[in-house]
Amino acid sequence: MTSLGSDLRLAWRLTRGSDRREWWRIALTAAGAALAAGFASAAAALAALRGSLHIPVAAGLLNQPGTRAGVIVSLVLLLVPVLGFLGQCARVGAVHRDRRLAGLRLAGAAPGQVRRIAALETGLACLLGSVAAAVLSVPVLLRLWDRPSPAAWAGIALVTVGVPALGAAAGALALRRVVTSPLGWIRRSGPRTGRGPGLLFLAGALLATVTPLAVATAPSGWPYRPGPPPSLLVLGAVVAVGAGAVWLSGCAARLTGRLLAARARSAATLIAAERLRDDPWAAARTHAAVLLVTVVGTGFVGVRQMLLEVLDSRKHLAEGRSFYTTGLDLTAAALVVALAITLSGLAVGTAESLATRRRGLAAQTAAGVPRAVLARALLLETALPLAPAVLLAGTGGAVIGFGYASLAEGGDWSLPWASLLVPPAVYATCLLAATTALPLLRRTLHPAELRYT
Amino acid sequence: MSMVDNTAGPLLAGRGLVKAHGRTEALRGASVELRAGEILAVTGSSGSGKSTLLHCLSGIVRPDEGSVTYAGERLEELPERRLSELRRTDFGVVFQFGQLIPELTALDNVALPLMLAGAGRAGARAAAGEWLERFGVRGQGELRPGELSGGQAQRAALARALVTGPRVVFADEPTGALDSLAGEQVMTALVHTAREAGTAVLLITHDARVAAYADREVQLRDGALAPLEVAA
Amino acid sequence: MIAMSTRHILLGLLASGPSHGYDLKRRHDERFPQARPLAYGQVYTTLQRLVRDGLAEVGGTDSDGGPERTTYRATDDGARELARWAGEIAPPAPFVANEIFAKVVASILSGGDPAAYLRAQRAAHMERMRELTAVKSAKGADLATVLSADFALNHLDADLRWMTTTAARLTTLTAEVDTA
Repeated sequence: MTSLGSDLRLAWRLTRGSDRREWWRIALTAAGAALAAGFASAAAALAALRGSLHIPVAAGLLNQPGTRAGVIVSLVLLLVPVLGFLGQCARVGAVHRDRRLAGLRLAGAAPGQVRRIAALETGLACLLGSVAAAVLSVPVLLRLWDRPSPAAWAGIALVTVGVPALGAAAGALALRRVVTSPLGWIRRSGPRTGRGPGLLFLAGALLATVTPLAVATAPSGWPYRPGPPPSLLVLGAVVAVGAGAVWLSGCAARLTGRLLAARARSAATLIAAERLRDDPWAAARTHAAVLLVTVVGTGFVGVRQMLLEVLDSRKHLAEGRSFYTTGLDLTAAALVVALAITLSGLAVGTAESLATRRRGLAAQTAAGVPRAVLARALLLETALPLAPAVLLAGTGGAVIGFGYASLAEGGDWSLPWASLLVPPAVYATCLLAATTALPLLRRTLHPAELRYT
Repeated sequence: MSMVDNTAGPLLAGRGLVKAHGRTEALRGASVELRAGEILAVTGSSGSGKSTLLHCLSGIVRPDEGSVTYAGERLEELPERRLSELRRTDFGVVFQFGQLIPELTALDNVALPLMLAGAGRAGARAAAGEWLERFGVRGQGELRPGELSGGQAQRAALARALVTGPRVVFADEPTGALDSLAGEQVMTALVHTAREAGTAVLLITHDARVAAYADREVQLRDGALAPLEVAA
Repeated sequence: MIAMSTRHILLGLLASGPSHGYDLKRRHDERFPQARPLAYGQVYTTLQRLVRDGLAEVGGTDSDGGPERTTYRATDDGARELARWAGEIAPPAPFVANEIFAKVVASILSGGDPAAYLRAQRAAHMERMRELTAVKSAKGADLATVLSADFALNHLDADLRWMTTTAARLTTLTAEVDTA
């Protein structure tokens, strides 16, 4: 334990001596961990319920075990964009931190020690978040549930401990390259392949997006089709689609970069295109999440329109109409939350890539490149690869929506043209999220950055 | 031998420049003049404020006190957009390292200022190719800065600084990271091109062998400039 | 060249006070290890020449139990000649470092202004370096010219570096030399 104590002190001293970005990373990580712990705790508490109950919240959606299972699954799926967000937060100031720890390794620290320090840094930040979530969620639980079962308490405790543990493990894992080849990290900031972790993180992103569909088609709560929902099948499909989305985003970025680099006319396009070609995987994770949200969102809007028409046309429903509409609205809310988290991840990622490049950008300004050109290049980096990808994703979602309207429930429902508004809306919000980094650009281009050139 | 134009006033003049970084005063009333076509070396020990002087004179940074006059215009009265334009067309800047965009090829890097000035991509690339040819790095045109040697990268940076035909080139330790032969190549390229085109050069260095390429030398000591005493 | 410097070095050593010939040889060899050690004969010959030229004079003799020792000291003319030599710029060329070093030490010993001398010498060196660099980088310069210019530049640069560092160290150096 003494070694752990000294590691703790070293980690604390390193963090305290570092610049402001460390605090940003810790704060953002804590926020993400709080969200994750919140969702997971809610899912755990719901999972502890047994049988049909009467719960005043959410218009009776939580009463039946079947729909409850669906809600639990969607809560779990919401964890995925949170994980993506956490992944982006981990990148804030990561270059500096990794170089610092590589320096520690070169000075003689054992690999285990460096891993421990990294794990402690991340784990402690996550602990902060999960404790905050626990503190907030326990009163809510007690208000809704007079005497919560031990299973519920156990679940919440598990989450509060499990989130930091997972965070610590992820922190240690993220440093494996620093640990094995510290010199490589000192000489150059390593190339981002992002494929492995991207797949891991986003495999679930797809889970999140498909769950609302699963909920919408959950048979046990539905008056038409009895039987358990084909969750496993859906889960499997989701993982596959998620991996595909990441791969697609990376390829879209690289292809866009290659095509445009040769044909670019303006300076801003040239800079953006070459940067995409150089590092297409940097934003692939976040872009993949955007794609998934687009597919599901477009499909959902279409399906929702059809379902509303179904509801309007039927006279007899198993539950009150509000049951179904609340279910749809909650799903919509979950989608919006997923989009918001994804957009935050996009903003954080853009800001971080800007901060990493600040010395080069300051040199460009000194050489006379106008700030407007650099700002445009920054926005184009997000806009260019997303455009074809969102188009494709929107088409996929539209196919789902239109297909449902034409084929399900006897077909012949009106086509959901409104769903076609979703892809451009998502694209616009993404650009907006990227523009939040522009004030940072203004500050980055201050010539004081040149002092160490 | 030098193409110094002594008839008109100085092309670039800084008077009474004062600049502090936080609590450290880098410049304390420094005054310097640069005539058209002249190569001036500014020497001084490390940390004596040489880079700050260059930043003030090129409009990258506004001095706390004092004024900088270029071709009759006072730089501190110009808006940022005009200053940026000035740095693009009239000034060329060469740093010790880090000034090329790492994701662009050397050729695109050199073509960038021309594209910013409104030239088409093809024309800009052709002109850039000629400049790279002149400095002996044409073959490295399609490589990225990370794939070039230090000397090649600096020569590409020099080409980029000179491609728009500036009237003043600011060079801050251009050979600092290079070995003597590579440094000699860079300095020879700079001096020859400057003499041919009549470009004035402000050369910051702590290396006497680099300063020896200049027509004149001034020394920065304690934030103020003093010319070297002429041999009696 | 060395011979001329020997006169002035001895004058410089005498500037801090009268001295025996034996002491002068010892201090010379200590102070200027890069020069050849002085032979006694050379010391006495040079001292006699200095006396003959009125730059030094015999101070007195004392014999405390040993062989007779003559004390010499510098005259006012000698002090002036030393100051003139120490302030005079050595023509910049390779292998002039010894002379520069001797002048700096002599300046310090005689209470002169080594900083001013160093500034002037540095300016002369820079001027010569500029000339050599222009020759070296002229278009069409042949290899032999480049090599010889480079050779000279290297040595001048080495001198320059030493002079710059010395100027910065001057106060410490004065204290050290004076106690010798």
